[in-house]
Amino acid sequence: MASLTLKDIKKVYPNTEPVKKPKKKKNNDEPVKEKANLQITEEGVVAVQQFSLDIADGEFIVLVGPSGCGKSTTLRMIAGLEEISGGELYIGDRLVNDVAPKDRDIAMVFQNYALYPHMTVYDNMAFALKLRHTPKAEIDKKVKEAAEILDITQYLGRKPKALSGGQRQRVAIGRAIVRNPQVLLMDEPLSNLDAKLRNQMRAEIIKLRHKINTTFIYVTHDQTEAMTLGDRIVIMKDGFIQQIGTPQEVFGHPYNLFVAGFIGTPQMNFFTGCKLVKENGKYAVDILGKRIVLSEKQQAALSAKGQQPCDITVGVRPVHIQADSQGFTGKVDVSEMMGSELHLHLNVQGLDVVAVIPTVGLDLEAHSTGKEVSFSFDPSLMHLFDAQTEKNLI
Amino acid sequence: MAKVKGNSPAPAAPANSVKPQKTPKKWLKHLWENYPFLVMVFPAVLVVFLFNYLPIYGVLIAFQDFMPGDPIFSEYTQWIGFGNFTRFFTDVQFWPLMKNTFLLCIIGFFIGFPLPIIVSLMLNAMKGKRMAKVLQTIFNGPHFISLVVLVGMLTLFFGRYGLVNNIVASLGGERVSYFLEASAFRPMYILSSNWQDFGWSAIIYIAALSSVDPGQHEAAILDGATRFQRVIHVDLPAIMPMVSVMLIMSIGGLMGVGYEKALLMQTDGNLAVSELIATYVYKQGLTGIPDQAYATAIGLFNSIINVILLIIANTTSKKFSENSLW
Repeated sequence: MASLTLKDIKKVYPNTEPVKKPKKKKNNDEPVKEKANLQITEEGVVAVQQFSLDIADGEFIVLVGPSGCGKSTTLRMIAGLEEISGGELYIGDRLVNDVAPKDRDIAMVFQNYALYPHMTVYDNMAFALKLRHTPKAEIDKKVKEAAEILDITQYLGRKPKALSGGQRQRVAIGRAIVRNPQVLLMDEPLSNLDAKLRNQMRAEIIKLRHKINTTFIYVTHDQTEAMTLGDRIVIMKDGFIQQIGTPQEVFGHPYNLFVAGFIGTPQMNFFTGCKLVKENGKYAVDILGKRIVLSEKQQAALSAKGQQPCDITVGVRPVHIQADSQGFTGKVDVSEMMGSELHLHLNVQGLDVVAVIPTVGLDLEAHSTGKEVSFSFDPSLMHLFDAQTEKNLI
Repeated sequence: MAKVKGNSPAPAAPANSVKPQKTPKKWLKHLWENYPFLVMVFPAVLVVFLFNYLPIYGVLIAFQDFMPGDPIFSEYTQWIGFGNFTRFFTDVQFWPLMKNTFLLCIIGFFIGFPLPIIVSLMLNAMKGKRMAKVLQTIFNGPHFISLVVLVGMLTLFFGRYGLVNNIVASLGGERVSYFLEASAFRPMYILSSNWQDFGWSAIIYIAALSSVDPGQHEAAILDGATRFQRVIHVDLPAIMPMVSVMLIMSIGGLMGVGYEKALLMQTDGNLAVSELIATYVYKQGLTGIPDQAYATAIGLFNSIINVILLIIANTTSKKFSENSLW
């Protein structure tokens, strides 16, 4: 078990071909061009930048973000599989930027398991220990202990091809934990599994976390995994950290529009073209033709910042929308019955608004496709984002 | 069977399951459904039939007292059974031919079979991929040199007034005509053959290595494996199925050495080791007074040895490595 410190970590993939000079330079202040979500500079393609994070002993950190955001690259830099272009990486008190992967005392679980197909489960798990010339009796003890923890003892004599996806993933985890690494890295370990097995394995990882003493760094693009597994979540986009916080923090107080949209299922509803106004010394929001006065807590937060009236985007989570005959009206475009709840896709003045309504005591016929429904939400649960900077105002 | 928790691999089909039999009607329907593919494959089947299967008919002369110009089937055909074979087994040349062919092939096999594997593993393990590609191209070059040119090069290098002798002579040594030395034939033959073909033969292994999951290498790096250990524990096992197939095919063609190069390198001085089954067949069948029936019998005997070797190699491989041609 060890703490980790990442100080201003940067990863640039150098240009392998000479950069073609543009014929006409339009603006000298534009050294950076963007292609999709990648930043391409004179140095090369910037995959990760300004990544600073302190990870405590035994903490479970989840890096989450969309494809190409740099989360796997960051993990691979920690593992030593990618060179660090800038910044400092400490494991414990040791600077490990230039330390070989095998000397970092870390283990990694790969997305596609990366088991050695010609070796049995036992040999796969024992391989790292054999390379370290560990005595046979100790190898045997450690492999069997790890197999016991992961409930794969009965498969020790099998080869990976004779195992199911879930069993292979357990073996991959077993191979990683058998060395008692200081840090255990997991790169989207559940993404190759079907939904049911993923839920099962997620629970297994939570159990495992309590059984072994190590620091976990887990990469996923699945926000449900991030929310359920992580002590803290690091949300990334385009190589930058967007927010670091506990699951409750990132869900309850997203730092910006991206985080708000990324965390939570169904996604948060965004009402664009709204205005933050100040009337009689009180802040209010003009939304969908109505004026809603903000809660005392929100008033206090905005006043403390000296917030000026401005254009904003209002975010409301679908679970915070409730049926209310006095509220906004919208037409049901799609009605999805999920069992205990109904997901309504409403057309409200041209905006697509999703509402999650509990089905207990609900008149389903009145909420079917094509029907007009009225709804409202608690103003204190609104998230206010600056329309320009996209940052949360509160 | 071990208890399987949670999800388990799909159970295999029961051993006694009966395959549905195809009736003629179903068979015709199946042909009709696949006729575009059958039309496409037809020219290839025709070529193989005309040039590979039809000539097999000619091996019948191995069992006849055949003279060039005789029809294979006529009322005058004299069937002599295994007479030609018996003649070969009792021929004074039989054991020298067997020994020469076997030694040349077996030594060539032991040097030539692992060489492309080692080269492919080394090229694959190289850090500089551009350099690896350059080297691979260089290694492939000799394959395109014709045998006549190759033997010409050997003459230029190892002839009495060739490069090697010139160097030896300039250092005060004595000139040696390597082409007249029986002891020099096998090393020159085997090493030049391997030089010519190791790069070309490595292509198939390089292709197999390109499909190795990079994740396995990364896992091995984290496990603490050195570059050499990764080659041994990741790359080599990954190409073992291909190695098995190539091994079976090589053993199957072990005695099938061609006559051209040996004939080109043959001199009176090295005849004792350079006379092979293939060169003997050529000489018996096409030079002097041709004895084609005898030559065909020797060639057929050689082919039968190859088939037996192929079956043994395939069966052994199937038993020990789960890889086989059939």
